[in-house]
Amino acid sequence: MTDSRLFSSPQELRHALGEQQYIASDEIATIMFLSQQLGKPLLTEGPAGVGKTELAKAIAGATRRELIRLQCYEGLDETKALYEWEYAKQLLYTQLLRDKLQETLTGTSSLTEAADRLANEEDVFFSLRFLLQRPLLKAIMSDKPVVLLIDEIDRADAEFEAFLLEVLSDFQVSIPELGTLQAVNRPLVVLTSNNTRELSEALKRRCLYLFINYPSVEQELAVVRLKVPELSPKLAQQAVELVQSLRSMDLRKSPSISETLDWAKALIAINAENLDQKTLETTMSVLLKHESDLQRARRWLQRPNTPGELDDPRLTRWKN
Amino acid sequence: MSLAESVDAFNAVEKLGIQDRATFRSSLRATLIKDAKNLVIFDELFMLFFSSYSSPPLTNLAEDLTPDEARMLAEALRQFSDHLRHMLERLLNGEPLSKDELDRLARFVGLAQMDDLRYRNWMVQRMEKALRFPEVRQAMEQLAAMLNQIGMDKQRVEEIRQMLLANQNALENQLRQYAGERIADNLSQQMPEDGLDGLLNRPFNDLSDKDMERLRREVQRLATALRTRVALRQKHAKSGQLDAKATIRANLKHGNVPILIKHRERTLKPKLVVICDVSTSMRSCSELMLSLLYALQDQISKTHAYAFIDHLEYISPDFEGHEAQDAVHAVLQRMPSGYYNTDLGNSLENFSNNYLDAVDSRTTFLIVGDGRNNYNDPRYDLFDLLSRRSRRMIWINPEAPTLWGTGDSDMLKYASSCDVILQASTLAELIDAVDKLLA
Repeated sequence: MTDSRLFSSPQELRHALGEQQYIASDEIATIMFLSQQLGKPLLTEGPAGVGKTELAKAIAGATRRELIRLQCYEGLDETKALYEWEYAKQLLYTQLLRDKLQETLTGTSSLTEAADRLANEEDVFFSLRFLLQRPLLKAIMSDKPVVLLIDEIDRADAEFEAFLLEVLSDFQVSIPELGTLQAVNRPLVVLTSNNTRELSEALKRRCLYLFINYPSVEQELAVVRLKVPELSPKLAQQAVELVQSLRSMDLRKSPSISETLDWAKALIAINAENLDQKTLETTMSVLLKHESDLQRARRWLQRPNTPGELDDPRLTRWKN
Repeated sequence: MSLAESVDAFNAVEKLGIQDRATFRSSLRATLIKDAKNLVIFDELFMLFFSSYSSPPLTNLAEDLTPDEARMLAEALRQFSDHLRHMLERLLNGEPLSKDELDRLARFVGLAQMDDLRYRNWMVQRMEKALRFPEVRQAMEQLAAMLNQIGMDKQRVEEIRQMLLANQNALENQLRQYAGERIADNLSQQMPEDGLDGLLNRPFNDLSDKDMERLRREVQRLATALRTRVALRQKHAKSGQLDAKATIRANLKHGNVPILIKHRERTLKPKLVVICDVSTSMRSCSELMLSLLYALQDQISKTHAYAFIDHLEYISPDFEGHEAQDAVHAVLQRMPSGYYNTDLGNSLENFSNNYLDAVDSRTTFLIVGDGRNNYNDPRYDLFDLLSRRSRRMIWINPEAPTLWGTGDSDMLKYASSCDVILQASTLAELIDAVDKLLA
């Protein structure tokens, strides 16, 4: 591990991401570059499975920084995200050091004096030694610059979001017993959101915004070729085109890039040579995760010239 | 858009420069726009404000004509009327419209009053009509035919025709560009509106479409505030289980003598069944109510939403992954309102036949409606049954109690089976009602 790397241009960053097996569009590279240059967190949004988390991993690899990941969920609070005192250890130390404490307190004439003496030693118990570092604190206290990934921020509660504001704007945290801890090195922060709820304006204001959508045929093909090189070019092309047309249908859950990749791997596993009816029947469930979607896709495959339209109840109503 | 974001934008532009258009666009986009919905609008406006060319490139045809060809062309042109000849010559010479000419056109078609980009195409069409584009297009075909007749080389004629067409397209682009710029200018001079408080307290019946639009946006903000309040209240509720870890932590400073007792977060979130009247009179109230409820999803364990006019439909699937407003719109498309055909009795019957399993002892049953049944059978028996089956029966009615029981209102009789009836005729009242509901 050498020192972390700074890029001088978006092109260089794009190239470095490419080395990490991540195919970035110009826009992604430019905005990522800006985030690094301005020292601002990057908020990425988009449908599930388009590579938002992957982007954070790739940038960690490209900058040769450690990746610290904070997975958000409902009910996440600062004791799990930031820090916690190790009570058990504190109690254990108090027990073990009882003799020493006695010693310190011997010879005191009054209660006040004893209390004063004890107060002098107080710092021992509220020091970094007893602080259990959670991802956020770890990212801030790290000697080396790191990449901090705050994954699926939209799942956390609104209060947690408010709590993040201090961390994201100044890269510092306040611990009442210790004071304010300032980041040694500014971490590169990537937040991801699946847009299941609206994030607060205050949070958005502090971040750069990047919307990653489903890729074009060429981009997706490039990803498949890169990650699953064993798949024959012809089959890869067919597979990607099929996935793209599935996305244009009105499905409960559109297939993501990661599912395309899984499917590509599945095609290799069963030694498929072309996409015939039987292969599709057996492997379609890798792409579509709802029974109703599967049925709709099957119906569509049997008469491919009417892409999903007829299944739309609103349209059928107008037609009859 | 805040001041901080503009500063970011300038910083970004400073880092990346403005040489590359795409990069410049990305810098502005990432720093200024924080919502995927607004990206489309941004792209459109970006094209207008930072157009890559001031006027479209027009090719000058006249320059590369042989003297012979020029003579033939001049001869053919003489056949047309003054205006058409003028236009054709302009196209041949590749002459763009001047600022003066554009301004005159703008005045002519009334572009100065336009402040909505949706009118852009219409404005372009009107300007084209003013320039008599369709006739000019015909004239071009005629010109080509004439040139063929007087013996110009076939291939040359085709070339000239193509170039004329290209030049006309370029002019069209210039008009489009100009119209867009003017509208964008008008837009940026518009003052933001005020008086939101008044709107919050205005009855639903008095709302115009524009007011409704603003309220929809407001609902999002209010829902956020409400969510925080509800979450805090649930957190501080002293009814949860004892939280050993939190208690030890809180009492460390007391030497582990449990003076402060901490409780685990109360997880009993209400299960909701909502039945909304979406007939014309109740539409805005129902829509805002549903938007509010769906914005508060994380404070509610499960919501089943149903809409009715003359019969009842399950509408929760419409809300999955859609904005409340779009979802309501979709539902209304499916259930067009008829003429005085609201029928809660029949809808209740639909409900108990098909969806009775959604109601259990943890369910809060919520009805948004005015209780006006158009003299249909109100089915009190079913209502009473549902009321007994659920934990609470809450009715949200925009009408004042004095109006209940008048005309076709069956509200007084329904009222006896309700646990709570809340009057909500304005958004402010509606929000209070939701707040009470989640308490």
